[in-house]
Amino acid sequence: MEKVLKKSDLGQWVARLKDFDLYGPVRENNHWEFNQISQLANFPEDYTQVNVPLKKILLPNREVLFQFEDNRNGGPYLQEVLPEEREVVVFGVRPCDARGIVLLEKVFSSEIPDIYFERRRQQVYVVGLSCYPLPGENCFCLSLGGGPFSTKGMDILLTKMQSKYFVEVLTPKGEKLIKAAPEYFFNPTDKDQQERQQLERKARAMFTRQIEGVEKIWPVLSQMFESPLWREESYRCLKCGICTYLCPTCHCFDITDEISSTAPLQGKRVRVWDTCQFPDFTMHSSGHNPRPDKASRLRQRIMHKFLYFVETFGDIMCTGCGRCVSKCPVGIDIIDILNKVASHGA
Amino acid sequence: MVEVEKIREEARRLLQEGQVRGVIGYVRGPQGVWAVPAMIRNPEDVDRLVWNPTCVHNLVLFVVEEKKEQARQKEPDKRPLAVVVKGCDSRAINVLLQEKFIEREEVILLGVSCENSGVVDKKKLLNLVPSQKIEEIVYGNNGHIVAVIDGERRVFPPEEVLADRCLECQANFPVVYDHFFGEKIKKEAINTSPGVDKIEKMRLEERRRFWEEELSRCLRCYACRSVCPMCYCTECVVDPISFAVEPTTTAEEKAKKIKWIEKSPLLSENFVYHLVRAIHLAGRCVDCGECERVCPEDIPIRLLNKKLEREAWRLFNYVAGMDSQAPSLFSTFKETDPEDFIR
Repeated sequence: MEKVLKKSDLGQWVARLKDFDLYGPVRENNHWEFNQISQLANFPEDYTQVNVPLKKILLPNREVLFQFEDNRNGGPYLQEVLPEEREVVVFGVRPCDARGIVLLEKVFSSEIPDIYFERRRQQVYVVGLSCYPLPGENCFCLSLGGGPFSTKGMDILLTKMQSKYFVEVLTPKGEKLIKAAPEYFFNPTDKDQQERQQLERKARAMFTRQIEGVEKIWPVLSQMFESPLWREESYRCLKCGICTYLCPTCHCFDITDEISSTAPLQGKRVRVWDTCQFPDFTMHSSGHNPRPDKASRLRQRIMHKFLYFVETFGDIMCTGCGRCVSKCPVGIDIIDILNKVASHGA
Repeated sequence: MVEVEKIREEARRLLQEGQVRGVIGYVRGPQGVWAVPAMIRNPEDVDRLVWNPTCVHNLVLFVVEEKKEQARQKEPDKRPLAVVVKGCDSRAINVLLQEKFIEREEVILLGVSCENSGVVDKKKLLNLVPSQKIEEIVYGNNGHIVAVIDGERRVFPPEEVLADRCLECQANFPVVYDHFFGEKIKKEAINTSPGVDKIEKMRLEERRRFWEEELSRCLRCYACRSVCPMCYCTECVVDPISFAVEPTTTAEEKAKKIKWIEKSPLLSENFVYHLVRAIHLAGRCVDCGECERVCPEDIPIRLLNKKLEREAWRLFNYVAGMDSQAPSLFSTFKETDPEDFIR
């Protein structure tokens, strides 16, 4: 379903969504972050891309799984803890981040669904914002089957036009949001349609960064396990978690017990973010580490996204958001690396 | 003015004569104008070396990494490493010498002067020229920074685009080096630390709120720790698994390892992490400012270190990394040391 919404009516519509917790881009120091908001009059002109992607809501950096006690009523006691029930609408989600959800679903909502992710996923409504102009200097979604107007993973996609938002209502969840204030939504005219198409064409022409021949990458990668490329490209790596923690698709975690009392023994089992880029991620209790150096860890990051995930799920686990490139403190550049990989196969 | 050709010449000579096993310097990165650290091993690659206001990194980190790597090798190449150091970076070398982490003959220092300028804060510059494509960033006259943007030269005064650490720097040329490039122009700091002044003026409650707000955003990506050449411990209290575990470590020994801090990025744990780090850097931090630069959440981490730098000066007249022969602050005491904080 396609609609249009007057720019000045955005705030009115959002005000009607009283039954939801609302999240939107909020400026913090030098960057944007999805934070809870009480109103949304407009998307600021300088809004680019949030720092921590939508996974911070779907796959929070700390998820309590259950509580435990070693002796209550004569035996061990476990209490399941599920995410609280609250419906959340997130505004201003960029297409790359929304596609990230689709990829996370492949991992967490497939054969054996993860109840924590599932519950959060069911409760989240994604209201996207298409990208014109492009939000980042390292956007490359176009090379990976995405695009600045991609609707994958979204319930609604908004496109900022001259005086209106073009509103693409994509799911029953999206329809539910529109129904909260139907009087603000109108059918688009032919001119509205043309304006939207034109913006998409312009946006698609703006990309400066791309991967040449993405289809070549995974067959080549399978031959590159021992390549010297990994050592060369990873020399300056800091072993920090920025590239993976800010990635819309990286989802590795650690499970740990947080003890609140030792007598009686009480605590919580929690799931927290972890990353293949930390040296201790693969550390065995024997002291052996199968990924002992930066080269093997960079290789893992690239291989997981562009080979292993393709083999397992038939899709590339990267949406081209460019965060790992823009935010890397030492300029490690996945686009550059992938182009080098692709040229190996040429 | 630092002539990059002279740095290249020296690097080429050192490599050709086999005096060093490599040269750690700056090269043009994959995103054009922004320099990245690199290890040059072949004389024919020295022309990749650059020197410009985007050379922000403290390359002493890689000296530390190489030292650790050497310890793992059976037959390591014992020849020294050449490394390009700015003023602040050279002081990090002094701290490593004071702490006997490295010996002086393990490094050949290619000292570069920041003259009366410094390095660019990418965030500041991108706020001034948001979407335009920057082709070149070079030093201009009087500490000014010249950026070539869309073919046009634009001159920025230092206070607009230099990193805060450089605006506050009072040691803008190397204090220890083997070869020196550029001129020793002593410059006055614009302010030694306006950020610390501001926080010292806050009431306790206000100060707590400030840090709660800042540290609540910490993702514990550990970029600040990873980039710090002073954070060289093989075992860190914040890691859930101890690196000091060896194949011979028994289960009992492992069980005895104390968990000082939870892995969850909860506010309480974030406080522990950042305060532990700050205390461990007291009298050691040389204010290269890398921790703050790399923080993806824009947490003003430098303020903690600057505060302790100020305290080290106030209490002990001590400035980190000025003298490799001086005993390090934490490993010495005098009977006259102030102890009025013990009550």
